[in-house]
Amino acid sequence: MSMFRLATWGWLAAVGVAGFATYEVKYQVAQVDDELGRVNRSIDANRDQLRVLSAEWSYLTQPARLDQLRQRHLTLMPVGRAQLGSLDQIPFRSGEAGAPAVAAATPAPAPQVAAHPTVRLPGGANLVSAKPGADR
Amino acid sequence: MKPMLPLDENPCRPRHYKPAPCGALPKEGPEKELLETSRTRLMLTGVLFALAFAVIGFRLVDLTVLKGGETRISHAHVSPRTEATRADIVDRNGVLLARTLESEALVAYPQQVDNAAEAARKLVKVLPDLNQQEVQEKLASGRKYVRLKRQLTPDQQFAVNNLGIPGVKFETAGFRVYPKGELTSAVVGYVDAVDNKGLAGIERGLDDELKTSDDPVELSLDTRLQYILTEEIQAQITAFGAQGGMGIIADVSNGEIVALASLPDFDPNDMSRATEEGLFNRATLGTYEMGSVLKIFNTAMVLDAHVATLASSYDATAPIRIDRFTIHDDHAKARWLNVAEIFMYSSNIGSAREAVAAGGERQKDFLSRIGLLTAPKVEIPEIGKPEWPEAWRLVNTMTIAFGHGISVSPLQMVTGVSAVVNGGVLHRATFLKHPDDYQPQGVRVLSRQTSEDMRRLMRLVVEQGTGKFAAAPGYLVGGKTGTAEEVGRHGYARKSLLSSFVGVFPINAPRYVIMVSIDQPHANAKSMGEATGGWVAAPAVSRIVQRMAPIVGIPPVDEDSPEIRRALLVDFAPSPGRKIAAN
Repeated sequence: MSMFRLATWGWLAAVGVAGFATYEVKYQVAQVDDELGRVNRSIDANRDQLRVLSAEWSYLTQPARLDQLRQRHLTLMPVGRAQLGSLDQIPFRSGEAGAPAVAAATPAPAPQVAAHPTVRLPGGANLVSAKPGADR
Repeated sequence: MKPMLPLDENPCRPRHYKPAPCGALPKEGPEKELLETSRTRLMLTGVLFALAFAVIGFRLVDLTVLKGGETRISHAHVSPRTEATRADIVDRNGVLLARTLESEALVAYPQQVDNAAEAARKLVKVLPDLNQQEVQEKLASGRKYVRLKRQLTPDQQFAVNNLGIPGVKFETAGFRVYPKGELTSAVVGYVDAVDNKGLAGIERGLDDELKTSDDPVELSLDTRLQYILTEEIQAQITAFGAQGGMGIIADVSNGEIVALASLPDFDPNDMSRATEEGLFNRATLGTYEMGSVLKIFNTAMVLDAHVATLASSYDATAPIRIDRFTIHDDHAKARWLNVAEIFMYSSNIGSAREAVAAGGERQKDFLSRIGLLTAPKVEIPEIGKPEWPEAWRLVNTMTIAFGHGISVSPLQMVTGVSAVVNGGVLHRATFLKHPDDYQPQGVRVLSRQTSEDMRRLMRLVVEQGTGKFAAAPGYLVGGKTGTAEEVGRHGYARKSLLSSFVGVFPINAPRYVIMVSIDQPHANAKSMGEATGGWVAAPAVSRIVQRMAPIVGIPPVDEDSPEIRRALLVDFAPSPGRKIAAN
């Protein structure tokens, strides 16, 4: 008799707990679902705003406009050919390892004493000045 | 423990066996067996139920106490496609060129509107840019549905909503914006403001794709180069008081059009101000007698067919008279010229003689192969059909040699020149960016050797010939000038010129063809009274090259280095016997 009772009470308790848990989960799901809807709506709204803003950005970065702004506010100029070169065009300091091979190819390896030796670019301009490696 | 009830005498009974509390139990026989089976079955069912409960219980514990273990990420939220949805158009670097944004439009159902006059008065009060008369007419029209205003701001929407006029509603409608405005309008085109249907350019050519695709359409255009090209052409139009101008920059290796300009242009955001002139795409729809730039094809033809070598000479001592035409040279040398000189000095007489030597049949065949006789197939609908004589007579062969008597579009020119300089492979022109790892096959139209010869010749034009102003210090530009007299009402008009330059850069290993044409330039004092391609279009190409090289990553070189000199040397033995001393 008592065995029967014990099991019954046990199962009843289990059913009660399960029922409560189910209710709890369902309630939570409803809440989460609301939250999801809200988040989705806000995603939509943000996405729409993003679409508008990136279109705005593209409009504001019209090259003609940027060019005007540059002329008004900056002293920068487009990159000229004299400012372009490759690493192997920069001579090594004489006496450094690997120098001979490069020095042979460089027209004037002599004035290496100067702190800022100028680099002769193919175009013939002397605009780029490179600091020697020791400065780094 | 309670004492066992003395009911049970069976020593082999299961331990949990509990006989029914009352009534006599059958101890033997079939009844007992039946009872045993029933019990077992009941037990089994009970166990199954218990298991099921346990599973549910565990899951509940899992969900409540353990919070469900790992969370599964559901699919990203996708907003639903609406009627108005239309894919973006972006340039080759992902810069936005066209996009559909949504806004509220004001619409009305006139049948539901009680007092049209009253409603119109109220509406105009909050939306002052509406015409009261017009609105009232629309509301009183008795039609089922009318549109009153597009693109309401949220404030306006709020104000109209507050009026509470029955029958006046809002409707979400898409409208197309073009952030780069007129800069890319020639290629991108525009859409109908009401139903968002593509009416020109890519918008029309790829209308179906834009309507159905979620991914943006990636064009081959580069907005930066587009700006450089447009600005430099505009500068020349202004400097020479020209009617208009057009230009194309194309990638020689795959036919991609990276920039295309047609000036005057139009702003697709404000079509009410667009002019017919502005809407006309000169670079693809316009076909022109291009003049001497066609000598590129003429020279390539005679070289490729082995009709002549670079050293072969032709008599350019005197103008040719044929039918009612006289073919003469602008920069007449009045002597025998070899093929290289004919190209370099742009001799019409020499070119005509070359073409005659090759024959009309061969000429037509070559021009057809290089795509000059058929309208190209590209993604935009504004494509001009080339014009050429049905009967290809001797005089046609002669004039076509130097670019008269055949009208082609700048797009065709650029496609053809790309094939001439890229090693001899013709690629279909395209406004769409190729995938990164895709290299279109193309069709071989001339030999590698001819292509190399042509590159050297085009360099010669810039170094010593008619195209000196196209030279860009530090960069290797080659090309050909062209100055065509446009056909006016009274035949060829001497003063109405189309001045062009087709440049190739870098000429030793071509990557881009740059064509610039200026329509009806007027000579000025600065140009020493000249309005030819060499004076008007070539300087623009020089500046374009200098500005675009750092952007496209082409390093400057020393034009005078021996390697480059050798690579671009024109290899011909001048014929001293025929050369007249004065040059």
